[in-house]
Parts: sequence; structure tokens; C-alpha cells
Amino acid sequence: MKPPAFHPAQIPLGLTLWSLWFVALYGGTAVACERLAAGPEEAGPAAINLGFLLFTLAAAAVPGTYAWGCWRAARLSAGRPSQERFAARVGAALHLVAVIAMLFIGLPLLGLPPCL
Amino acid sequence: MSGDARDWPLPRGGREGEGAGEGGGAGTGPADKAPQSSGGDPDPARLHEDFNAVWGNPRGWRAVTIVNHTAIGLRFMLTGLGFFLFGGLLAMLIRTQLALPGHTIMTPEVYAQVFTMHGTVMMFLFAVPMMEGLAVYLLPKMLGARDLVFPRLSALGYWCYLFGGLILCASLFLGIAPDAGWFMYTPLASATYTPGPNSDFWLIGVTFVEISAVSAGVELAVSILRARAPGMALDKMPLYAWYILTMAMMIVIGFPPLILGSILLELERAAGMPFFDPTRGGDPILWQHLFWLFGHPEVYIIFLPAAGIVSTLLPVFARRPVVGYAWVVVAVLTTGFISFGLWVHHMFAVGIPMLAQAFFSAASMLVAIPTAIQVFSWIATLWLGRPVFHLPMLWLTGFLVIFVAGGLTGVMLALVPFDWQVHDTHFVVAHMHYVLVGGMFFPLIAGLYYWLPHFSGRMASPALGRWGFWLVFGGFNLNFLVMHWTGLLGMPRRVNTYEAGLGWDLPNLISSIGGFVMAAGVVTVLADILLHFRFGRPAPDNPWQADTLEWATALPPNPYNFISLPRVEGRHPLWDQPGIGRELAAGRGGLAVIDHGRRETWGTDPASGEVREIIHLPGNTALPFLAALALAVVCIALLAKAYGVALAAAVVVAGLLLRWSWENGAHPAAAPDARTAPGDPPLHSRTADGPGLWGMALTLLADGALYLALLFGWFYLWTVGPTWEVPEGGGMAGRAGRLLLAAAVAHTLAQFAMQRCARRMAQGRGPKHGAAAFAAVAAGGALALGLVYAALRAAGLVVTATAHDAVIAVVLGYSLVHLGMATVVTLLQALRVRRGYVGLEAPYEPLVVARLWHYNGGVLWSSYAALVLFPPAWGGI
Repeated sequence: MKPPAFHPAQIPLGLTLWSLWFVALYGGTAVACERLAAGPEEAGPAAINLGFLLFTLAAAAVPGTYAWGCWRAARLSAGRPSQERFAARVGAALHLVAVIAMLFIGLPLLGLPPCL
Repeated sequence: MSGDARDWPLPRGGREGEGAGEGGGAGTGPADKAPQSSGGDPDPARLHEDFNAVWGNPRGWRAVTIVNHTAIGLRFMLTGLGFFLFGGLLAMLIRTQLALPGHTIMTPEVYAQVFTMHGTVMMFLFAVPMMEGLAVYLLPKMLGARDLVFPRLSALGYWCYLFGGLILCASLFLGIAPDAGWFMYTPLASATYTPGPNSDFWLIGVTFVEISAVSAGVELAVSILRARAPGMALDKMPLYAWYILTMAMMIVIGFPPLILGSILLELERAAGMPFFDPTRGGDPILWQHLFWLFGHPEVYIIFLPAAGIVSTLLPVFARRPVVGYAWVVVAVLTTGFISFGLWVHHMFAVGIPMLAQAFFSAASMLVAIPTAIQVFSWIATLWLGRPVFHLPMLWLTGFLVIFVAGGLTGVMLALVPFDWQVHDTHFVVAHMHYVLVGGMFFPLIAGLYYWLPHFSGRMASPALGRWGFWLVFGGFNLNFLVMHWTGLLGMPRRVNTYEAGLGWDLPNLISSIGGFVMAAGVVTVLADILLHFRFGRPAPDNPWQADTLEWATALPPNPYNFISLPRVEGRHPLWDQPGIGRELAAGRGGLAVIDHGRRETWGTDPASGEVREIIHLPGNTALPFLAALALAVVCIALLAKAYGVALAAAVVVAGLLLRWSWENGAHPAAAPDARTAPGDPPLHSRTADGPGLWGMALTLLADGALYLALLFGWFYLWTVGPTWEVPEGGGMAGRAGRLLLAAAVAHTLAQFAMQRCARRMAQGRGPKHGAAAFAAVAAGGALALGLVYAALRAAGLVVTATAHDAVIAVVLGYSLVHLGMATVVTLLQALRVRRGYVGLEAPYEPLVVARLWHYNGGVLWSSYAALVLFPPAWGGI
């Protein structure tokens, strides 16, 4: 599944993973509230927050790992074509952006009730 | 091929006696091939005549056959200008009405039509097409190519845009224009509250125009990825190309949800299918989701190309490369992605749970960061450069001031409590204009002044230009800065008048005066541009000492752009090789042969930019014009509820598009003779790769976005639809479900047979009895089609009774259309094999068609999972 560190597909991969996570988070909380909250005026169980926090951390680990792989490859890439080094560097940065975006957007899970 | 060619100016660098400049296309390989000549350089004038005979544009009524990107790009921009003036006139009417309390110049009904059309025209008929037109015009030149890779698609896009825009605007003169606001919220836009054809004009007209946007999106993205100058690797692409690539991909993914929403709302209005009607299981909030899924990325679809103009011009005037090229690329891509996670911030007031709102609030704040990275890059470039302050810089400075201010109010609006306070007030209107006028209009005018020598060969007047700028800048701020306060004082948007003494009188008057000052500025700019065609100083070569390849063409450019094609070694080809224009005009670059009579450009690797094949391009043809004309008939017939006429016109459209696909590959009108110069790669239609594969992939991506939006609607209604109901014994349980399963299985078998045929042909191994094999695959498609139709019948749907049945009907109807399409084009492949247009020597097209089969297979199985497996799992039946 994971393309080589120098592959141009690294460039859109991180934020594509972010997109999938975002859809799963937004859709998932709606579904969880529909299934687990007692009624429309209920805050819903805290387990929903906990579950999605864990999901967010697990999801962020994926582009985090890829960012590390791309960055390491870019540092050891002397002699490779310039576009490959570029793909690895930009890919690493965008994977990191995806990690930051997941963690920042997931922050409200720490403090807000899921269904109100 | 090209009809009676018009006389075009001789390439500036190609005049006799100018000789070669320094640099040039040094290197080896096909990209560096000199033209075939018998001793010494060929005569540039002769080369020009020969190229013009193949690439020239006809005049008179045959001008409708032009497909060349330069002409199409100019048409987009000129038409966009026309719509901008129309939309601006409507803005003046609005400001006149609001200048004083109690004005009754327009009735509330007319006012509603005017503000709706102002927003619609500016967003759909000016901003997006203008930016696309500029990109269509510039990109091939900037990338060192002769044209975009699907010229007929560009032409179709233009005609759809023109006809769709005219249909939409005509409604205002008929007094039946859309009047529910530019985002057409239901139930106001639904048949109950807008029973006339007003909303229909919007839904059908905008959808027609969106064909143009998506066509251009596919066209631009594939051209950037597959038709760059040799050596122009990803890390050497002009930044403008990165911006347009991102914009194009955003259009491909972002526009389909609105196309779907428009189709559903039109089906609700015309056929009574209740997708958004809560009394029958629908939900008006679903419309808001579909609209803003498109609507928020739309803001960035407009902003990013404008920022691309800034990133192109600013380094030129700072006289140094942009600071942080890779950071800007990261920022642009981040903006493109994150902008899809903001849409709900337009819906903070509709009652979505706090946690969900907080996700979108956070994303809305986050998106400011990549924009800030670009702003810092621009400032650093100016800081470290040796800036010269020409007229375009004035507009860029205005952009920076206004856009940053608009961005800051954007961050304020991202905060839910603040958004609630100013929701639906003039504060939001002011913010939107700061972002859109500051973020799009100012860079656009900077770009127009910068590239003006391209259009006319002349320079504009700095004095008149400065007057224009200060009037627009001053008038704009007078109008919209004050409007923030009007909003904070509580004035709601979209009211046609107000009572005196509410504190709104003075700010409204100031805003109106500002609006008219701004209009005077626009007129001054237009006068400057018009006058420069007559009085402007002739532009020298590369008048701004720019670094990008569009300045290596003649001014104005010839339809073929370059006699011979460049090879580039760095990000700044004209700074690296200032004489490259003369070299290319003298035929010392690649692909300088034209005696084969084909339009050609290099097909290059998406990552490395190295040559892979020669892309042969179609010549002038009336097919795009005729197809768009027939589509216009479909639209008008739908508006008139003449469904028989609409169906007949749709059949004509299908016929024209099939004819279009017929004239490809080895067809006599395309490239029957596959010979290329010694050492050159083969024609793309003789390979197993080519732009069509990429074009099909991106088209299916757009198609997939539409289908996913449809599935989103299905799951959304199941989950949170307030009155969702499943009819007794209805749905896809039982026989209907089994028939759908049979269809998916039959299709899968045919799909793999198609893949096998295509692959064997690409490998030069068959298939045996090629035409019969493709015909057999088509028969499999027809069987699947019949089974889906049987499933639809067996489901016993009452599509006007519940949203449940209506959505199922659309999902199955979607598959029917796609299966029909795959069946017909595969039959066409069988015919083409018989005629010899497709075969072992030209194996490319079946690979393109196979992608449609794979897509259809994915859709059928997904539909089966969503319609048959999901409901019992959810507990609905």
C-alpha cells in the first residue's frame, strides 16, 4: 500500500489520509450519537470521545510514520534525481501537516460533549 | 486540417538576421532534436507559414470550429469580462437601492432576483471561468507546449459556458430570474415557495456552466501532468502550474456535489421526488451540505489561481526567485485539501452538535496557516529582492492589504459564537467581498496588466492605470470596510430596504458612494486597456524580464506557440537562457517538423518531465460547438418542460459526442500515418499510455465524487433525516436485491473480459477475433444493464412518496446511464477494430474504455452494499 519514499504519490498521500480520517470522524460521531445517545437532548456517553480520540491518535500515527520515512529518505538521497528528492521532502512536510491537522482538529474531543 | 489559415505575425525571435542567442536547447535525446532540414537552419518565415497552415485559426462563421487554447482562453476571458460587467451593473443597482432608507427603486421581488443574479453571475460566470480562461491561455505556453492535451474539450467547455451563462442571464430580462439567493437554500428554492421557473434557471443553467468548469479542470490537470517541456520535472514546474494543478483537482472533486444537488433539486421540482422535503422523508439540510461541500472549496478554487498570479509576478518584479518554493508548494496543496474540511462553517446556525461544529471551526482556523506561509514567502521575496514598482505591483500591493484583512475576518467568523452574532448580516457580505475581490480581482487585474503585451503586443498607460487602481482601491474600502460596521450594527443581508433611524443610514450611503467610486475605477481600467490597443507603446521582447516560458513566444503569440519546443534545465528558463525564444523560433528545439500535417506536442513523464511519446492533437472541428448547442436545446427544453424535445436533443448530443470519439487514434481525421522522425518516440495513440488514460481517470474521479455525494445523501438521511421512513415492504430487499446482485456478477465477468482484451492488445497478443471479443464484452454490459433495469422494476418504488424510494431510483438510474455508456463505447471499439482504427498497432483506446468498466463495477458493488446490505444491518428493515 505504501509507495516508496521517493514516489510522487507521497505528495498527496498524507492529506488524503487526513481527508479519510476527517470523513470518518465527522460521519462517525454522527452515527455514534444516533446509536448511543439516549435522545436528541442528551450529551451522549464520554466513551464516544474516548473512542474517537484513540482513533485520531492511531490515524495520526500513519502519516507520522510516513513523514519520518520520507524525511529520512530525503536526507540520504544524494545522487538521486532532483524530482525524487523533492517528492520525498514535500511528501514528508505534507505528511507532517496531516498529523498536525488531525491532532488540532481532534482537540475538541478532549472537552466537548459529543452529541449536544 | 485547419481550414483557411489566417495571417499571423511572424515569430518575433524568428526574423532573419537575429541569429541565435546564448543558451538554447543543449542536450541529447529526442527533445533536443533539430528539425529536418537540408543544410543549415530552415527559413523561419517558411517554418511559420508551414506551421500556420496546420495550426491556423479560420475566420468568419468557421471560427466556431477553433479549438486552439490561445483562442479559447481569450474567448473565456472576454466572455468573463462581459459577465463581470453585467454582474457589476447589478451590484450598482443594489447599492442604489440601499443608498438611502425607504428606497423603492426595485420591488422586493426584483431586488431578490438582482442580488441572486449578482452573486450567481460573479461566482459562476465570472470568477471561475475567468481564472480558468487565463490558465487555459497561459499554461501550455508556460509549460513549453503547443496546446492543451484535449483541445476539443476546451472548446466544448467554452461553448457550454457561453450558452449556459446566456440562458441564466436571459431569465433576468424575462423577469423570471432565480430569486432564492446564490446558494438556493431549500425550501425557499423548492416548488412550494418558488413555483415559477426561477429556480429552474439556476439549477439547469449553473449545471450547464459546470460542465465547462469540470472539462477545464480535467484538461488543465492532465496537461500539467503529461505535456510539460522536457526536463521540467516536478521540482522545476512554474509555481503557477502547481496552483492551477491544485485548483483543477479541486474543481474535479468539488463541483460534482453541487451538480448532484442541482440534479436532485430539479428532480424534486420537476418530478416531485422529495429529497429535501421533510414531509416525505427528505431534509433541507442535505441541500446545504451538498451546496457547501462545493461552496467552500469554491472560494479557494477562485483564490488559488489568483495567488498563483501573485507568486508568478512578484518574483519577476522583485528580480529574484520566490523564497521557499517548496514551502509554497506545500502550502498550496495544504490549502487545497483542508479547504474541503470547512464546509460546515457556513452552517453553524442550523443546529449541528457542538463537537462537530468545533471540528469545522478548528479546520477553518487551520486553513489560515498555509495562506500565511504564502504571504510570508511573498514578503520575504520582496524583502530579499530588488523590487521595481511597475503598475501590476500596485495591484499586488492592494491584494496583500485587502486579502489579509479579509483573512482576518475569516478567522473571526471561524469562531462559532462570533459567527452566530453576525450570521446573515452585512458583516458576512463585507468579509466575503474582502476575500473574493481582494483575493481574486486585484491579482487578476495585476495579471491582466502583466500579460497585456501578450494579448496586444503593446504596453498599457501607467498614468491611467494608477488612476484606475486608486479609484478601485479607495472605492472598494469605502464600500466594504464600512459594510463591516453596518453588519455589526445588525443590518441583515438580502433586505431590499430599511427604516431610517436604525443607525444604518450613513454607513449605507458611504458604502454606496464607495461602490460607485469603485465602478468608476473599473471603467478607468477598461478605458486604459481599450486605449492601449491603439495608443500603447509597442512591447519589447520579454518586457518585464520575466523567467517563464510564455515570454519566449511571439507577442501576440501564434496559434502553435513555438515553432520548436524547448528543453528546460531549471525553474527559470528565461533567466537561465535569455535567448531561448529566438532559438525556438529558428527551429532549433524539438518537434520542429510539420510536413506530416499533424498538430503535435511532447508527452512527458509526470514526475521527471522526460519525453515519453508524441501527443498528436485534433485540428479545428465544429463538433464541440454543435454538441454544446444541442445541450443548450436540452436545457431550454427542460426549462419549457418540453421533455420530448429534451430527449431528442440529448440523443443528438450523444450522437455528436460519439462522432467526436470516432475521430481519434488511427482515424483518417486524426493520425492515420504513425511515422515519426528518426529518434523520436511514437505517437501516443500507438502506445499503451497517453493523456486519454489520465483524462479518463480524472473524469471518473469527478464522476466518483458525484456518486459518493449521492451515497452521502443516502447515509445522511438514514442517520439524521428528521422524518426518514422506509416504505412497507419496499426497498431493495428480496427479488430486487437478488437482481442487483446478478447484475453486479454479470458485470464483473464482462469487466474482466474487457480488461483481458485491452491488456492482450496492448501486449501485442490479440485478442483473437478482436471485434467479436469487444462485441461479446458489450453484450455482457447489456445483460448487466437489463438486470439493473429489472431490479428497478422489481423494487416497486413510488418515487414521489418518500425520499427513500427517490434516492434508490437515482442510484439505480445512475448505474443504468453508466452501463449504457460503457456498452455503447465498447461496441464502438468493436467497430473501430473492424475499421482498423484500433488494433495491435493502435492498442490505446481499449485501455481507456476499460477504466470505465472498472469504475462501473465499483459502483454496482457499492450500490449493492448501500441499498441491499446496509438497511438490514442498520436495522431499518
